Amino acid sequence: MRIVLLTLAAAVLTGALAGAAIVGFGLYNVSARAGHLPGIGWLLHTTYRQSVRLRAPGPDAVPDLSAPGLAELGAAHFATACAFCHATPGDVQSATALSMNPRPPYVTDAILDWDPRHLYWIVREGVKMSGMPHWPAARPDEAWALVAYLERVRAGTAPQPRASASRDGPAGLSFCAVCHDASGRSDWPMVPRLDILPADYMTAALAAYRDGRRDSGFMHQAARRLDPGALRDLAAWFAARPAGGAGIGGDPALADAGARLARRGTGDVPACTACHGPDRPAENAAFPPLAGQHAAYLRTQLDLWRDGARGGGVRSNLMAKAAQALTDADIAALAAWYAGLPASGNAGPGRVDTP
Amino acid sequence: MHGGAERDVMAVMPVACMPQTNRQTAAACRRAAGCLAMLALLGACEGRQAVLNPAGQDAAVIARLFLGMLTGAVILWLLVAGLFLYVTVFRVSHMPRRWAESLIVGGGVLFPTFVLAGLLSYSLPLMSSQRTGGDGLVVHVRGEQWWWRVTYETPQGNRAVSANEVRLPAGRRTEFRLTADKVIHSFWIPALGGKTDMIPGRETVMTLEPAETGLFRGQCAEFCGASHALMAFEVETMAPDLFDEWLRHAASDAVPPATEAARRGAGIFAAEGCGACHTVRGTPALGRVGPDLTHVGSRHSIGAALLPVTAADLALWVGRTGHLKPDVEMPQYDHLLPDALLDLGRYLEGLK
Repeated sequence: MRIVLLTLAAAVLTGALAGAAIVGFGLYNVSARAGHLPGIGWLLHTTYRQSVRLRAPGPDAVPDLSAPGLAELGAAHFATACAFCHATPGDVQSATALSMNPRPPYVTDAILDWDPRHLYWIVREGVKMSGMPHWPAARPDEAWALVAYLERVRAGTAPQPRASASRDGPAGLSFCAVCHDASGRSDWPMVPRLDILPADYMTAALAAYRDGRRDSGFMHQAARRLDPGALRDLAAWFAARPAGGAGIGGDPALADAGARLARRGTGDVPACTACHGPDRPAENAAFPPLAGQHAAYLRTQLDLWRDGARGGGVRSNLMAKAAQALTDADIAALAAWYAGLPASGNAGPGRVDTP
Repeated sequence: MHGGAERDVMAVMPVACMPQTNRQTAAACRRAAGCLAMLALLGACEGRQAVLNPAGQDAAVIARLFLGMLTGAVILWLLVAGLFLYVTVFRVSHMPRRWAESLIVGGGVLFPTFVLAGLLSYSLPLMSSQRTGGDGLVVHVRGEQWWWRVTYETPQGNRAVSANEVRLPAGRRTEFRLTADKVIHSFWIPALGGKTDMIPGRETVMTLEPAETGLFRGQCAEFCGASHALMAFEVETMAPDLFDEWLRHAASDAVPPATEAARRGAGIFAAEGCGACHTVRGTPALGRVGPDLTHVGSRHSIGAALLPVTAADLALWVGRTGHLKPDVEMPQYDHLLPDALLDLGRYLEGLK
């Protein structure tokens, strides 16, 4: 018995010394060119596939991937953040991407064996030791846009990122215009209208996106590509666009309830109009006007505020308190009313008289 | 102060302290000093928030009941202690069985039955005064976290909304209709009467009749969360004609800002969206989340009896709500510069 124990102890000690030598003296070759030892590649890949299958959300978590603009937004982000490694459909991967180990799969191959829920998990979480990054924001909703795009890729109907027609305007405008349109008035309902926002508010929002106080993978990616001076010019340019007309998705059936809540508030919900208009008692460029903003964007943002997942500028603590008592029905009604209002600042339809 | 109390204890408790070691002695003396210090707190009962210093009919009844009970309890204690001494010190011997049995039946059954029945028949009718109707004025008080929403309603149907302060006409009986927003609170003005729970979704009713004019203090008497201890309010009892005059003023719209600083403050109030949560009648501010500020400058306190009503204290409150009142609903406006906060304070102070 004693000899068995001594033999085992000697084996453990030898193994530990060998391991320490491999790590400490650099004996293991980490060369991507040299590749993995036989069997290691299979081991890692199988671990990855089984891990994704175990952790992906259930099929019920998949939202409506055919929502207008969703796949287009995903396409725009894919072009700036993902295409370098995976290539857009029809393009070839760069020689550099092909030299990675593991080699990133071509976009159409990458999605072959996965359902939307698996793709969502991979895009949101990333994959360790493979070069695949996680979604650059904590909020859970945005990665679905990429999944919507990848599903269109699978169907062979991948949207092309729209090209900006504008030639004038500040540096970086054509980049912003891919999603926000050069008019600042995107026709994708989840992308906010910028033509109705004051320059100060947009500058503060871009700064918050840039340093991570406000959470969005799309906008972290976008705001960090441009220098702070350019952000101010772009905010000023969009603020100067002529604003008019209602936003997308204003449901008239809900507008009256939204108007009542926004104008009068309740014992738990502050009156929205006091800061966000229309007819606000005093101008304050720190608060975004909401009349004419797209309903889908407003719903998402109010959800984030209520859930404590929305940051922003120095006044973000005010809105975090203001939104905490909102119900889903309140949020739907407020978004419907504000989206249905003309952007000029008139109250328009759904106005209620204050007692 | 503390040292003095300890010396007093040493003087009165030499026997108890002597047989122990020094360390035990010190600990025992500290404990005794603590008890004496708590007794000293009874001195605070002369103040504006005191059960034993009644300033209203209902509080007087309660004080009388308390003193009656206390007297009875002292007499009973003396009787029992005397009996104990008698059988253990003065007459240590066997007691005849008949004596012992009649002592148990008489002293253990009959005597307490009569005493308790007497006390019950004395005390039960006293509660009815809490149930008697008011003379007309109804004050609705809603417990919020952590402040008081107060609405006065006259028999003519006129309403005036206020907060964190109750004013009452002396010599008249006022009805209180109490409820609560999210959790149970308890409404208590010790100098004027008993406490009544405030329950969400339900209205409890009590009446109070202050006997004299003066300034008193009320306090939430049911633990209601992080800032329960900071949920108090001021109570002013006034001569009836002065009260009627005050109520007319309380129902009126706010006065416009009078000074340049106050006008700047009014601008900040509007631009920062304060009206989303607060009402200032006569202005676009119509919010209902927080206290009505129409006449906040004429109140005795802000923040539910937390700070006096000066421009500097108002500025301090707006800029530091979370520091002054843990978990408070009102967000902290620490992004405003000190000058702006002071202007805001001047505007609010001027809302007389």
